[in-house]
Amino acid sequence: MKEFNSLEDILDFAINEEQLAADFYTELAGKMKHQEMKNTFEQYALEELGHRAKLEAIKNGKKYKVSEAKIADLKIADYLLDVDVDKTNITYQEALILAMKKEKIAFRLYNDLASAAIDEPSKKLFLMLAQEEAKHKLRFEVEYDSNILTEN
Amino acid sequence: MERSEEYIKNERKQEWRVELQKKTKAKDRMAIERVEMHEMAPEERIKSQRVEVNIGLSKEEAMLEATRCMDCVNPTCMEGCPVSINIPKFIKNIERGDILGAAAVLKETSALPAVCGRVCPQEAQCEARCFYVEKLNLKSVAIGHLERFAADFERESGVISVPELAEPNGVKVAVIGSGPSGLSFAGDMAKSGYDVTVFEALHEIGGVLKYGIPEFRLPNAVVDVEIENLRKMGVKFITNYIVGQTASLDDLKKEGFKAFYVGSGAGLPRFMNIPGENSNGIMSSNEYLTRVNLMGADSEESDTPILRGKNVVVVGGGNTAMDSVRTAKRLGAERAMIVYRRSEEEMPARLEEVHHAKQEGIEFLTLTNPIEYIADDNHRVSQIKVQKMELGEPDASGRRRPIPMEGSEYTIDATVVVVAVGVSPNPLIPNSVEGLEVSKWGTIEVVKDKMQSSIPEVFAGGDIVRGGATVILAMGDGRKAAANMDVYLKEKYLSKKVEL
Ligand SMILES: Cc1cc2nc3c(=O)[nH]c(=O)nc-3n(C[C@H](O)[C@H](O)[C@H](O)COP(=O)(O)OP(=O)(O)OC[C@H]3O[C@@H](n4cnc5c(N)ncnc54)[C@H](O)[C@@H]3O)c2cc1C
Ligand code: SF4
Repeated sequence: MKEFNSLEDILDFAINEEQLAADFYTELAGKMKHQEMKNTFEQYALEELGHRAKLEAIKNGKKYKVSEAKIADLKIADYLLDVDVDKTNITYQEALILAMKKEKIAFRLYNDLASAAIDEPSKKLFLMLAQEEAKHKLRFEVEYDSNILTEN
Repeated sequence: MERSEEYIKNERKQEWRVELQKKTKAKDRMAIERVEMHEMAPEERIKSQRVEVNIGLSKEEAMLEATRCMDCVNPTCMEGCPVSINIPKFIKNIERGDILGAAAVLKETSALPAVCGRVCPQEAQCEARCFYVEKLNLKSVAIGHLERFAADFERESGVISVPELAEPNGVKVAVIGSGPSGLSFAGDMAKSGYDVTVFEALHEIGGVLKYGIPEFRLPNAVVDVEIENLRKMGVKFITNYIVGQTASLDDLKKEGFKAFYVGSGAGLPRFMNIPGENSNGIMSSNEYLTRVNLMGADSEESDTPILRGKNVVVVGGGNTAMDSVRTAKRLGAERAMIVYRRSEEEMPARLEEVHHAKQEGIEFLTLTNPIEYIADDNHRVSQIKVQKMELGEPDASGRRRPIPMEGSEYTIDATVVVVAVGVSPNPLIPNSVEGLEVSKWGTIEVVKDKMQSSIPEVFAGGDIVRGGATVILAMGDGRKAAANMDVYLKEKYLSKKVEL
């Protein structure tokens, strides 16, 4: 497992992860055949940059806390098949699946890192990061629940 | 169509209405029991896909039910109707026995009242807003049944009048798709004197009214009368013609079409993307219903008979799911089941369909979600792994979303699975027309209430804009588009300034 020497180290890692996610979506946007899906992925990239900015603010001293309330997990991502990211005609349904699965992987990572952390401050930071990812995943799952699983 | 409060109030003050208002006391109106629709017995009707479940009301029953209506000063029912049908006016015409008059009122705003009377979710629209429900906590006036009655009466009387047509103006317009949206658009444009041609990809006219909704709910004959009427009005129909494939929009422009109405619907089935979903025996509701309704695949003699199974599972909770599961029952399934991940209250299907399905012995597994399909050695589905769901805490939108219950997985035997979890817009037109603005959902973007797209001569409405809605909304869009396209074309080609 990756080693971290300081809280700053952890934040740098997380900031970089958000940037990588943004790059991933920007690249995907470039590949898409249809304008509306280009726009969608560009929007996701912007959201990742928003997450990055939030973490940068924390790195610069902004206070954060680990909330007591559990973030709802609709577990929609758990059962869906992976999306082929080499396709150039990804649908909106697939875009949502892709995004929620990415957030879930990130959530797992921070959760694992939190369990493995020895000192309290790092543990707290990882838990906060995991919570953030859980929120991001929830945002995609809710959109999926409302708009894809219409069952009509 | 003038719809001001003033107009509604003045209509209500007409002599005949006032007379009726005085004739029966409110107390006596309230004392009448809501009429019950006559139905075929469940054990009889499940023997045929083509026997309509609802039989209809007699004239006496309809007139008595119409007497329940209070002819409210402020008819809230009209606010519940997406196209604001003048509900008390048509109902009071029934009360006084002028059924053709009632049908004429319906036609002022609805192009297909016999269809809407059968398939609109009235309990969530006009009937939900009826005075009886809102103020008296009693059963609403049976607005839907009365609508159906008046429209059927007119059709059966054989005196359907072809509306007056304006002088032909020689301007050619094309309609893409012959669903309720395209048909209502075509009717209004023909009335205004345009030369209208409807292009339809399938071999039948009617869109979902024919290929989706089964005849046990909406007989083809009801739809055919409307199509025949349009033909009499000069509307031309070309079937087996896929715009974007057989010919492009540009090709049609070269043939002289000046403007287009895209009513191509949302016929692209969605799947769940879970493991095993491509096993044999699993199909979309769209495929299932189309093959039965349009290609007679339910007949034993069919060249391509539909898969029948002892245990049929239909995934979903909308009208499409109900139509599929009730079709499966009629095709002889021993167990025909609905598997739906939310609770029964949240089912988007019309209440009546759920009620009828239960009468027919359909099993409902609600708060149950498929997570995997298990196939046999021949790659044919044999079981579905499902999990039980529970509703979570209300979220920011107030909605309680289903969450899986740990360790609640189990399997159900199924030899045929029909997936009815939603549809997406037909992608051909959105993807093939350069410059057409499309949303991330694949719906065509239009200026609200004008139905004009980013290309001025292209208008659109119905499911291709809404992404899966209702017949009445699709129809309303068609009418709005016709009114606005008329203005556009008159200004452009007939050099007439028009005020709406
Ligand atoms: C099984 C089922 C049951 C339903 N039950 C109800 C109900 O009870 N009540 C209710 O209000 N709503 C119901 N709905 C929804 C309702 O039917 C739709 O909202 C409505 O039909 C939409 O009308 P439309 O004209 O936009 O499209 P459609 O009815 O889908 O018609 C579109 C037509 O366009 C054609 N087309 C598509 N692309 C092209 C092309 N490129 N070139 C030429 N033609 C093309 C299609 O073949 C189709 O015939 C149901 C839907 C289904 C599927
Ligand atoms: S609200 Fe009900 S009672 Fe009042 S006018 Fe409408 S249908 Fe009649």
